Amino acid sequence: MKRGRTLPAAALQALALALGLAVIAPAAHAQEAKKPRPDMIMKGDAACTRCHDETEEYPVLGIAKTRHGVRADARTPTCVSCHGQSETHANKPPDAKERPKPDRIFKRATGSPAEAQNQACLTCHQGGKRIHWQSSMHASRDVTCASCHQVHLAHDRARDKFTQAETCLACHKELRAQINRPSRHPIREGKVTCADCHNPHGSAGPKNMVRDNVNDTCYACHMEKRGPFVRNHQPVQENCAICHNPHGTTAPNLLKQRPPFLCQSCHEPTGHRSSPGSFPGGPTSTSAANLVARGCVNCHTNIHGTNNPLDTPASGQRVFRR
Amino acid sequence: MNRHTHAVPLTAIAAALLAVFGPALAADAEEIARLTKPESTIEFGIGHADRDGRRFGQYSGLNEKGAYGLLSGTLIQRDDAGTWFILSGRNLGLESRELRLEHNRQGNWGYFIEYGEITRFDPYTINTGLTGIGTPIQTINGTGLRNVDLKVKREAVTLGASKYLPAGWDVQVRYKNEEKDGARLWGEGGAPTNFLTDPINQTTRQLEVILGYTGEKLQLSGGYYGAFFDNHNSFLTSNSTLFAGFPQRALPPGNQSHQLHLSGGYTFSPTTRGNFKVAYAKASQTDGFFITPTNNSRGDLGGRVDTTLVQMGIVARPLPKLSLTGNVRYEDKNDKTPLAFYTVVAGGSTLDGFNEPRSIRTLAGKLEASYALPMSFRLSGGIEYDQKKRNTFRVASVTQRQETEEISYSVGIRRSMSDSVTGGLSYIHSDRDGSPFLTTIVNSGATGSNLIAPIHLSDRKRDKVRLSVNWQATEQLSLQFRADESRDNYGQRDGSILGAQKGQASAYSVDAAYTFSDKWQGTAWISRDDTRFEQLTRTTPWQASLRNVGDSFGLGLRGKPYSWLEAGGDLSYSNITDENRQQALAGAATSVIPDFTTKLTKLNLFAKYAVEKNTSIRVNYVYDRFDTNDWTWTTWTYTDGTRVLQNPVQKVHFIGISVYHRWQ
Repeated sequence: MKRGRTLPAAALQALALALGLAVIAPAAHAQEAKKPRPDMIMKGDAACTRCHDETEEYPVLGIAKTRHGVRADARTPTCVSCHGQSETHANKPPDAKERPKPDRIFKRATGSPAEAQNQACLTCHQGGKRIHWQSSMHASRDVTCASCHQVHLAHDRARDKFTQAETCLACHKELRAQINRPSRHPIREGKVTCADCHNPHGSAGPKNMVRDNVNDTCYACHMEKRGPFVRNHQPVQENCAICHNPHGTTAPNLLKQRPPFLCQSCHEPTGHRSSPGSFPGGPTSTSAANLVARGCVNCHTNIHGTNNPLDTPASGQRVFRR
Repeated sequence: MNRHTHAVPLTAIAAALLAVFGPALAADAEEIARLTKPESTIEFGIGHADRDGRRFGQYSGLNEKGAYGLLSGTLIQRDDAGTWFILSGRNLGLESRELRLEHNRQGNWGYFIEYGEITRFDPYTINTGLTGIGTPIQTINGTGLRNVDLKVKREAVTLGASKYLPAGWDVQVRYKNEEKDGARLWGEGGAPTNFLTDPINQTTRQLEVILGYTGEKLQLSGGYYGAFFDNHNSFLTSNSTLFAGFPQRALPPGNQSHQLHLSGGYTFSPTTRGNFKVAYAKASQTDGFFITPTNNSRGDLGGRVDTTLVQMGIVARPLPKLSLTGNVRYEDKNDKTPLAFYTVVAGGSTLDGFNEPRSIRTLAGKLEASYALPMSFRLSGGIEYDQKKRNTFRVASVTQRQETEEISYSVGIRRSMSDSVTGGLSYIHSDRDGSPFLTTIVNSGATGSNLIAPIHLSDRKRDKVRLSVNWQATEQLSLQFRADESRDNYGQRDGSILGAQKGQASAYSVDAAYTFSDKWQGTAWISRDDTRFEQLTRTTPWQASLRNVGDSFGLGLRGKPYSWLEAGGDLSYSNITDENRQQALAGAATSVIPDFTTKLTKLNLFAKYAVEKNTSIRVNYVYDRFDTNDWTWTTWTYTDGTRVLQNPVQKVHFIGISVYHRWQ
């Protein structure tokens, strides 16, 4: 049984050097010198892959496994279309102590200026979902494409439903605890992703919403809340985020606060609406049931709106009870 | 990560050896192929949960004690013409499975079909006599009390196709059909208060057709988006005595929306770009009433909402060091639903008996400038405006305000490029006010209660500070520090002290990443988030001081100590407390409410052992612990005798063993 299934780099290197020194290398070098080195992946990449491969600090060959590495698609880039001609990097000037860096380096804090990095990508990717990139908060805060995307890897974690959140949470730390609250969307299971609701490349909606507003974004999965209804609940129609924190809460159903406190932040203090929170052992009265079980929605079950056209007694549909 | 750099590149060695030795070193050609050809994988195995985990398995499908089949994989084929065939599946043995087939000629045509399930297992066990659970006909105490577990399952099938056309045009079509079935915890309240379930049997469909153009300067994306909702249960009937003679309760009505939209961007020069979006949507809700209205002859609501969106933005760099960004957005959601009389109400009612179509018009704008300073610092400042206009009604139960306006001023400094320290500090001050609050009247025309400014309409001053620091302390150690602090002060209605008073939100975190060696890397983080809110209510006021505070930390380790072994783990812990303090400032005393505490512990360990070049054995161990003292259900019994139960300490050990194989 063989071991060391990844690159037998050290063995190969030692073998090549030994053999080269002994017999083979001079002949091989002579033979190689006669014909140009072939490209490995992209057109013209021989100039780069003569030095850069998987053993480098920045492995590059993995790009061959991605869509960027498909030469049959005439739109795909070459090394220089992203990194620039990088003449002095490819051919180190004799007087240079260190090899100059490529024209364009894709690293967040130590690479080329963010705009220069991003422009390289936008040359091809400006259309579609990235039309609004330049107006986005990410662009204005110098976020680069490479901050999130791993272009040279077959597996780009930003585009994988199971790992995307890690990418976003690398900066949005305040949400890390929220998405693990008891009431949450299934983000950590990879069933809902950040990009289901937000377009990180910018959008015409607030907060980079994928649809034009918060509610339309929520309706994509919760269309039963759209209505309109015979009885509308005003904040429901205006913005789901008035009552809900979609990133996660301790209160059930992603509510920002538990009833009755949440409801009391809008409703007039008449009748039972101003009752303090209480927790009896059973359903004794309306006001006494406002903090236990489902709180106010023990009774006001159709809180998002009701389409009941009946004029029922005891204010049935009027207050979202039927 | 610090990687070893070989003096002689591997590919050069391999190429040279291949040239010299030819077939004798075919293995090296294989090695290059391994590095450059798309890889297919399959992972199959078995897992076991040692006990029921209502929280652990809420969405993962691992909710019950027992064995589970583990099966995931991706088959990728790519030919020289750039044709991809991808078949991928995840969690195929669980109720969270997904399967996708994709076939495309890159840059030419493509199509895909996708199937996915999201199952939400309710975290509670219901001890009830209700029968007909999940159906539109339910019988309270139709049987003796027994334990019931609820779940809601979404099954979605998505079809998509795309075609690239000449001259930069492309067309994309996507259609998604989702069936949502199951039962959700519901009920009815008053006298009596009974347990019921929300019978879910719904279909949601979305169709999107997009025509796009991508040119050097101009990009366009326009098309149609349709969203359709059908509820196969329009009402629920039960033997409830709550509303005698009216056994029906409404369920969400079917509705649909059609939107036409066009987005575009144009690069005027290398330093100036504009973008826009215009959209018009027509939504309707004309689901037939499940019963003839009492007070009119309508067969349906006739609901119709038209929404118009116009957005424009421009980004420019008029000077090499000065960048400007401007945006304006106008959205008019116009609820054109006809008014009809539905409810006979008394003079003192806070409703006039008609339905209340809700329209809202939003005008928002933003202007931001940033200027480059020495040492890669950038100073920025901006102003943001948000105006909302709402329609109002003669009679209301809650305070109305036709217009709110919020203006925000921001200033910040940041440093994005540096080998050692990057970060930023920003401050935002927002001020929201608006038109005078309308005096609330009841149906008779008499003045109603006018004491509370709803939280989303009230005057509000908000101050927000954000600090972020990223420090590459050493070659091995990087640190991140984040601090967010926000303070809100709310205004009240004239002559009233009631309503929202103030709010505060803080979030602090420190993250560290350390590279122990080429083979081992570790991470650690700690955070605290603290949200507070105070409000007053009741004419003899009492104050609610609400607080949610969470302390969390996490540790992670990843390593590859040998070429044949990968291992690692993650540990996270959160301790969350909800405080709900009540204090009577006058009048009757208030109850002391116990805090809610929740503790979450998660440990995930894995090891991947290579038994062959392309085959590994993977072992996963998960420990999940959920502790809560949530008493909202433990002190509660429905009139019908139903109780809702939750194990206050839920501990699950899950172990999975799988075989992982890859090939090309």
